[in-house]
Amino acid sequence: MIIKHQEKIASPEIIQRRYEGLGYICSHSVATAIYLACHLQKPILIEGPPGVGKTELAKITATYLNAPLIRMQCYEGLDESKALYEWKYGKQLLYTQVLKEQLGDVLRGARGLDESIARLHDFGDIFYSQEFLEPRPLLQALQSEDGAVLLIDEIDKADQEFEAFLLELLSDYQVSIPEIGTVKAVSTPIVMLTSNNTRELGDALKRRCLHLYIPFPDAALESRILATQVEGLDTQLREQIVALIGKLRDMPLKKSPAVSETIDWARALLLLNVEELDSHWVKETLNLLLKFQDDIELVEPEIAALLKSLR
Amino acid sequence: MRFVADFIGALREAGLHVSPAESLDALKAIKLLGLESRQTSKTVLALTLVKRQADQVIYEELFDLYFAGVGKAKTSIKESNKASNKEADKSESESSENAQEAKNNPHSSQADMSDGEGMQTSPSSSLGKALSKNKDMSLAITQAAIDEKLSSIVLFTQKNYFAYKIMQRLGDDLLSTEIRAAANSPEHKRKQRELIKSRARLLDQVKDYVEQQYGIFAQHKGLKYREEYLQQAKLSQLDRLDYKLMQRLVQRAARKLASQHSRKRLTRKRGQLDVRKTIAANAAFDGALFHTRWKATRIERPKIVAICDVSGSVSRVARFLLLFLYSMQDVMPKVRSFVFASEMIQVTELFKQQGIELALEEIMKRWGGLSTDYGKALAGFQSQALASIDKKTTVIMLGDARNNQGDGRTDIWEKVFRQSKRVLWLNPEHRNSWDTGDSIMSEYAPWCGSVEPCRNLKDIERIFSRLLKYS
Repeated sequence: MIIKHQEKIASPEIIQRRYEGLGYICSHSVATAIYLACHLQKPILIEGPPGVGKTELAKITATYLNAPLIRMQCYEGLDESKALYEWKYGKQLLYTQVLKEQLGDVLRGARGLDESIARLHDFGDIFYSQEFLEPRPLLQALQSEDGAVLLIDEIDKADQEFEAFLLELLSDYQVSIPEIGTVKAVSTPIVMLTSNNTRELGDALKRRCLHLYIPFPDAALESRILATQVEGLDTQLREQIVALIGKLRDMPLKKSPAVSETIDWARALLLLNVEELDSHWVKETLNLLLKFQDDIELVEPEIAALLKSLR
Repeated sequence: MRFVADFIGALREAGLHVSPAESLDALKAIKLLGLESRQTSKTVLALTLVKRQADQVIYEELFDLYFAGVGKAKTSIKESNKASNKEADKSESESSENAQEAKNNPHSSQADMSDGEGMQTSPSSSLGKALSKNKDMSLAITQAAIDEKLSSIVLFTQKNYFAYKIMQRLGDDLLSTEIRAAANSPEHKRKQRELIKSRARLLDQVKDYVEQQYGIFAQHKGLKYREEYLQQAKLSQLDRLDYKLMQRLVQRAARKLASQHSRKRLTRKRGQLDVRKTIAANAAFDGALFHTRWKATRIERPKIVAICDVSGSVSRVARFLLLFLYSMQDVMPKVRSFVFASEMIQVTELFKQQGIELALEEIMKRWGGLSTDYGKALAGFQSQALASIDKKTTVIMLGDARNNQGDGRTDIWEKVFRQSKRVLWLNPEHRNSWDTGDSIMSEYAPWCGSVEPCRNLKDIERIFSRLLKYS
C-alpha cells in the first residue's frame, strides 16, 4: 500500500489520537496493531465478541488512509468465482461471434490445413485474458493502483477450503488464476480479517496474520466511546449506563450486550429524555440491550438490585 | 533480541506453538517499536506470537515473570555504570576492568587471583573483591545461569543443584578457600565475617534468581508432562484431582476433532443444472451447450446420537465418558445425548443449558450409580429416539454391557443397527473382561459396526477421529 502521508502512521500514539478525531476510540493495542500492519505489511486477524467494532475498525482505517474499502462478506459455500474472479461469459460469447466473422480474413490464401492451423495460432487468443476477467473483491484489492483496505468479514463463516485458498493471498499478496497465471498485487493492500470464533481457524492462516483480540472495552474506554458517539448525553447518566452494562456483562447471559448495543441504548434513553436510570425505564428498554428472551427473564428480577449497587 | 529469543523459547516450553516465521515477525516488530515501553512490547509480542485466546493467559503470566527479570538486570547495569562513574579515585583502567569482570567474571577469576595475592586486608578472590565493593551481581548471575543452561530446569528438586552450579561459576570455590584461610589468622577475623555475610547474601540472590527462572521455564513443563501422562492413564485410575486437567484435555481433543471434520462435503452424481457453470464451460463452443454442469456439492453434516451408561458398574469412568459426551455436543452440531442406568433420559437440553460442571454433577446425582437395566433402557430409547434415526445417523454407545442378568433386548439394538448409518460401541473395560460375569457384550456385538475398548483419552481421541473421518 502506498501511504501518501507517512506521518499518519509514524507511531501508534498518533494513530490512536487521529482515530479518536475520527470518532473511533481505540485502545493502545489496537493502534499498535494498525501500526504494525502498515509497517510490516501483514494482514490482521481481528477476533472478539460481536459488536466491539471489528468491522468498524476496517472502515475507519480506510477513511483514515484515504484508501478504498473493499469488503468481502464470507458465508458458507463462498468460492473463488465469487471471491476472486469470474469470466464475462456474455462478452466471451460475443467475442466468438466476432471471431467467426473474421475467420475468413485470417485464413484467406492459406494452403492446406497445417498453414491454417499455424495462422490460427499466430492470431492472438484473448478468449481467456484480462479483458474478459470480471474482478471480484479479492482481485479488485490486488489490482487497485494505490492500494486498498481489504476487509474479509467473518472468515469463520466460510469453508475451510476457502481458508486454504486465502493463504497465498495473505502471505505473498498474489493469486493464481489457472488460465492466466499469477496475478501480483499492484500495491499491497492492507488486509483485515474478522472472526467471531464460531469455529477455530486453521493454524496456517493464523500464522500469517497479526492476531488482535478486541475485548469488551473497560469502563473508562466505553464511557469515552459513548461521549463521542452519543452527543448531548449527561455525564452522570453516561457513567450509570457504563456501570450497569459492566454489571450485565458479568452475568451469565447467552449474549452479553456489546458496545453497539450500549450506544443504541444510550441513544434511546436520550430520545426518551431519561435523566436518571430507574428500574421502570430500564425494564422498558431492556430489549434494546438483550436479544434473547431467556436473558431478559434472567435480568428483569435483578434490575432493582443492580441499580442499587450502582449508587 | 536475545531476550526475545529466550522468551519465545519459554513460550514454547509452556505449550504455545510459535513458528519460526512468527518469531521473525516478532523480532521485526520489536525492531520497529523497541523494547523500551513494557506495555508496548507486551502488545507487540502478543500481536505477533499469541494466536489463540486460550494461550493469552499463559502468555501474560510468562511475560510478567520474564520481563520483570529483564527489567531488574537492566537497572542493575545502569546502577553499576553510575557507581563506577562516581568512584573518582578509581583509575580508568580499573573501572573498565570492573565492567569486564561483570561480563566474564568466571573466566577472569584466575588472573585476578594472582593480582590480589600480595594484598592482605582486602579480599583476594575476584568474587570476594566484587562482593566487598558491594557490586551488584545480577548481571554476573544471569551470565552464569546461561552458561549453566538454567533454562533446561524441569523439576523443583533441581533448584538447589542449579543454585550450587551457579555459585561455582561465580567463583565460590576460591571465595570459600579464602574464608577458610582467613579463619586461621586473627587479624583477618573481621574480613572473614564480612565475606561470610556477603556470601550468604549472594547465595540468597542466586536462589531467588533460580526460583524466578524455574517459574518461567519449568512450571508449565511440569504441566506438559502431567498431560502426557493423563492421556495414557486408564480412565478408571484417575482421581478427582486430575479431573480438572482432564476436562481441559478432553475439551481440547473434542475441539480439535470437530474443527478437523466440521464440514464434510459429499459429491453427488446428479443434482440441479448449474446454468452459470454450464454457460462458462461451453462459451468456447460458440454457445452450443456440449457439456452440462451440475450443482455438485452438498454439505453433509454428521448426525450423532450418543448414549452413555452412568450406572454403578461404570461409575468410575462415567464422569469421563460424560465429559467427552458434553464436549462433543458442545463443539459439533446435531448431537443428541442420552444417559441411562435403567431409564433412558435425553440430556441434550440439559447440556445446552448448563455449564459442564453443573450438568455433570446433576446427571451423576440424579441418575448415576443406579443398577443397570439395558433392556429397559433400550425400550425407552426405542420410544424416544428410534424414529429419528436414519441412514445419516451415527449411534455411539458408551457402556460396559453389564446387564445384571436381565433381558438385553438385543432386538432393539438390531433395529438401531439396521436403521442407522453405523453403530459404535465403546466399552471401558479391557477385551479380556468382556463376557465375564454379567457382561453380555457378545450379544450386542453382532449389531455393532465396531466394538472397541476405550480405556484412556488416547483411545477416545483415536476412535472419534476415525468416526468423523468416515461419517
